[in-house]
Formats: sequence, C-alpha cells, structure tokens
Amino acid sequence: MGKIGLTTTVPVEVIFAAGETPVDLNNIFITSSEAMRRVEEAELAGYPRNVCGWIKGLYSTALHNPDIKRIVAVTQGDCSNTHALMETWEVEGIEIIPFAFPYDRDPDMLRLQMDKLIGALGTTWEAVSLQKKRLDQVRALAWEIDRLTWEENRVSGFENHLYLVSCSDFNGDPDAFAGEMKEFIQTAREREPIFQHKVSSGSRRKGRELRLGFIGVPPIFPELYDFLEEHGARVVFNEVQRQFTMPFETDDVVEQYRLYTYPYKVFQRVEDIAREAERRQLDGIIHYTQSFCYRQIEDLIIRKKLDYPILTLEGENPTGLDARSKMRLESFLSMLGD
Amino acid sequence: MSGQIICGIDLGSRSVKIALMRSGIEDGDFEILRLEKLDTIRFYREYGRKQGEKLAVDFEAMGLPVVDHLVSTGYGRNTLELAGGEAIPELKAHVLGAIYQTGLKDFTLVDLGGQDSKIIQVRNGKMIDFMTNDKCAASSGRYLENMASVLDVPLEELGNYADHPVALNSTCAVFGESELIGKIVEGFPLAELAAGVNATIVKRILPLLRTFTGEVLVFTGGVAHNHAVVKLLEAGSGKKIVVPKEPQYNGAIGCCVEGRKHAFGHAIDVPN
Repeated sequence: MGKIGLTTTVPVEVIFAAGETPVDLNNIFITSSEAMRRVEEAELAGYPRNVCGWIKGLYSTALHNPDIKRIVAVTQGDCSNTHALMETWEVEGIEIIPFAFPYDRDPDMLRLQMDKLIGALGTTWEAVSLQKKRLDQVRALAWEIDRLTWEENRVSGFENHLYLVSCSDFNGDPDAFAGEMKEFIQTAREREPIFQHKVSSGSRRKGRELRLGFIGVPPIFPELYDFLEEHGARVVFNEVQRQFTMPFETDDVVEQYRLYTYPYKVFQRVEDIAREAERRQLDGIIHYTQSFCYRQIEDLIIRKKLDYPILTLEGENPTGLDARSKMRLESFLSMLGD
Repeated sequence: MSGQIICGIDLGSRSVKIALMRSGIEDGDFEILRLEKLDTIRFYREYGRKQGEKLAVDFEAMGLPVVDHLVSTGYGRNTLELAGGEAIPELKAHVLGAIYQTGLKDFTLVDLGGQDSKIIQVRNGKMIDFMTNDKCAASSGRYLENMASVLDVPLEELGNYADHPVALNSTCAVFGESELIGKIVEGFPLAELAAGVNATIVKRILPLLRTFTGEVLVFTGGVAHNHAVVKLLEAGSGKKIVVPKEPQYNGAIGCCVEGRKHAFGHAIDVPN
C-alpha cells in the first residue's frame, strides 16, 4: 500500500478502494512548522513571487516526502497554476494522475473522470461503493461536530476548521480519524455552550458573541480563528471545509461529487452559503482569498449576491496574521458590534 | 483653563499626528488647542520607549502638557499599544473625526494616507461598510512623495496640476517611477507629468469606490491636501467632495472625540 498525494479534494473513495493511502498535501504543508521555508524553497527553484503560496508550498512539500510517488492533481475545478505544478513535479519524477471536475457539473463527464481514476488505480466501482458507505459514517461524525459548532455552540471555529478540513483525506486512516472525532464529540458535548466570550481590552462590544461565516479556501493563517475569538466573535460556518465533508446526503457517489460545490461555478457556492448563513444566523461573513488567486475576481460576485456584511481578507504566506489584517478584522468586528 | 485636556494620537505609517483638545461638559464646548505632526521614525526613536508590551511616550520631551485622557489609533496599534491610554480601531477614529469635522452623518469617507487607503461608508453616524487597500500602497501618499521627488517639485506644487494627464499604467509604485522618467525623456511638460501622477491615484481609488453609494465623499488624509487629486476625484466619481479643515489630523481628532466620551461618560452630539 502506497501513499498518493492530493492537490485538493478528489473522490477519495477510489484511492481507498485501490488499497492506497491518500495524503492531502495542503494539510501536511500547512501543519508543518517549516511551512514558510517550503514556500521559499519553491521560489528558489524558480516559482515566481507573485504566485499563490499554497501552490508553492505544495510543490516543495511533495518533494520533501519521497514516499509520495504518485499525485492525483485536479486539472479542472481548481486553479490553472496546478497544471504547471503537475509539470514541475513530473520533471522531478513524480507520477501524475490528472482528475477534472467538469465545469458544468455534467454527470456523464464526472462519471467518466471517476471511471478513468478507477482504471488508473486498478480498482472497481463495487469497491468504490463499499468505501463510500464506510466513509459516509466517518463524515457523519464531522457533520455532528459542525452541528455542535453552530447549533449548540460548544465547538470553536478552529476545532471546526481542523476536523472538517481533515475530511479531504481522513488523515490517511478513516478508522483512527473516526475514533479521534468520537472522542472529541464526547468532550465537546460536556462543555458549557459558548454565548459570551472574554472581550479584549481594545474592544467595547457588549452582549452575545458575533457569529461569523468563513468562506473561500481554508486560510493560510489558521491563527485567524483564535484572534477572532479573543475579540468576541466566532466562526460558526467554514464553507469550503464543510464541503470537504460532502454535506449533501446521497447514496450515489457520482452525485455526491456533483453536489460538492467547491470545484464548480461560484453560483452554487453562493446558494449554499446563503442557505447556511440563514440557518446559522450569521452576523457577518469573511471572504478569504489567497493573494494572486483567480477567486479574488469572484469576490465581486459574492459581494453582489450575498446580503451580509462582508470583509474580504487576503492572505499570502504562512507567516501568521499580519498587523494590517488584524486592523481590518478589528474594524469589521467593531462595525458588526455597533 | 477649565475642562479636560484630551490628547489623540494617530500612529501613521509615515507620520504621527497628535491633536490636543480641550473639552467642557457642554456639547459645543470642545476646541482644538494644538495639532502636531512628527515623522514616524523620529517619533519612535526620540520619544518612545518600550515598557513591557506597551509603548511609553515621553510627552514632556515633546513639549506637551499633562493630559487628562489619552486615546491612540493607527497602524502601530496592533504592534504596540500606547501606555497610559486607550487604543481604538483606526477606522472608528476616522469616522468619529470626520463626523466631528464636517457635521455630516451620511457620507463616504475616503482616507488616503502615507501607505493606507481607506473607504468607509457612514450612515446615520455609523460605519456600515468599508474597504482598505491590501498588499499594495500604490494609491497612497508615499507614491505622491516619490513621484514629486522624481519630478523635482515640492509636494504642494504637484497638487496644482490636473489637466491633460500623461498616461501612467504601471500598477507598481516603484516601477511607476521609471515609467515617469520615460515620459520625462519623451519631453512631456511638467504640468502634464504632474497631472498624470495625480490622475493615477484617482484611477486606483475609483474601482474601490464603485460599490459605495451616497452622494457625498469626505476626503481626508495627507493626500486630501492635493487640490488636483480632489478635482480629479470629483470629476471621476461624479460626487460632491468635502475636505474637512484638518484632513491629515482627522484620525487624531477622532481619538479626542472618543476620549471626550470617556471623560464625560456620555455620547457627544455632532456639532453643526
């Protein structure tokens, strides 16, 4: 059984069905204490400065993990920088398996893509179906953590982020990850609900905590969550991380990846965000975009379509929250608090 | 002198602005005593010293009297909080300053400072939306300073030219310099070159303004002293522009407004 790297969420059932272990390169990059060094290494190798930090981090991270000999790379449904990323890996001798989410969510095209992946990894649809049943049980635990976050207010924004984002590869071991989540759910259920947070000296907000939505790709500075909670606000909706848990119930594995909103048009995402924002009673939304990302353009649609106060926050490198972002976040919270 | 002395400090990226105001308990009894501006680096080097996690300022050395209330804001706020005072978010300070200085309650505030550009929608005296520049300071005062030095004209003179701007397209303030030098070599007159520099600032601000409704723009920050930028912004946005009497001290004055609330424990009315 070998390790297969991922550049983003793909039908991971196929990888488990083939008896392989998926490794979401994003997760090992960002949890490394040397994340910024990975970015710098990519720049030294020749990656331009004005390219997404995630792409550069992924590039070096894969090279630091020689046990990852194959990578499933998403060629459609994520950014086109991935194409060059795949090619630079290929030059280094890594085998690339391309996967494309059809832009128009065409079910036949998606089935064909999954079929090709099944063929490339040498497994079968039957084995994939069995894995779906197995993984859905693990995903249900992540859904429960999400519910405990927004409905019962017993889970922090960072905890929500961490468990949900990990559903892209289940940390390579769904059973162990399920065990971890069960334990966490038990602890969280015993907690007192969070209604009022300690308020920092600079803030004069009174009353209940502010409920925020975090939309866009997961942040390159996860310190954001604690910063918000120190200032009387909590993220109760992590949009894309929640998508990684495949939140729409269906028995059909193709349909599951069709309902998954992240790789398709922004409009399906907007619908999902609007529905959840209403259900979770959000006070405001942080739209996170990565520097140099095409999704920065989509910000204008998001602002137009969502009737909530929105702060567009840009992150570039894994070097923590900078003073300017803190200033902007504080101003946003003070605006919502008024 | 009766009343309370309130000091507002705006720790900007290029300069530190200090407003000293006196306030009585009556609504109209609030006046500016002194406004001071210091280079940021000089301020930290000569008058500041680190005291634990905070910044202690030697007010005596600066020639300032003992004050009853001290409120600070600005870029430095998240790095160092001023000792012996309260710190408030920057955008809030600017909103309070603009309301105090203009008497308006519904407007869009455009603050162009040394490094930062801020656009804030104020409705009924409250901030309801805002945008700030990020990762790029090409629409800031620092850009104007650099370009004035390339053109070898004082900053005040640069603001006299708004007509027939040369096209400057570089999105980077540093590359913009070499682009401007290229235009000098091509033989464009100073007036058109200077107008081109001023027009560039406006060109970068207009897309940010696009989503902000409201007919009145209150224009503050050091860049508001540039008459040509004011004129070009008015023409480009089609909105009425109000430049308050002290555009550069707006944040520091806003700090005093906040300090006054604390001094007297009630919200002040906006003066007419």
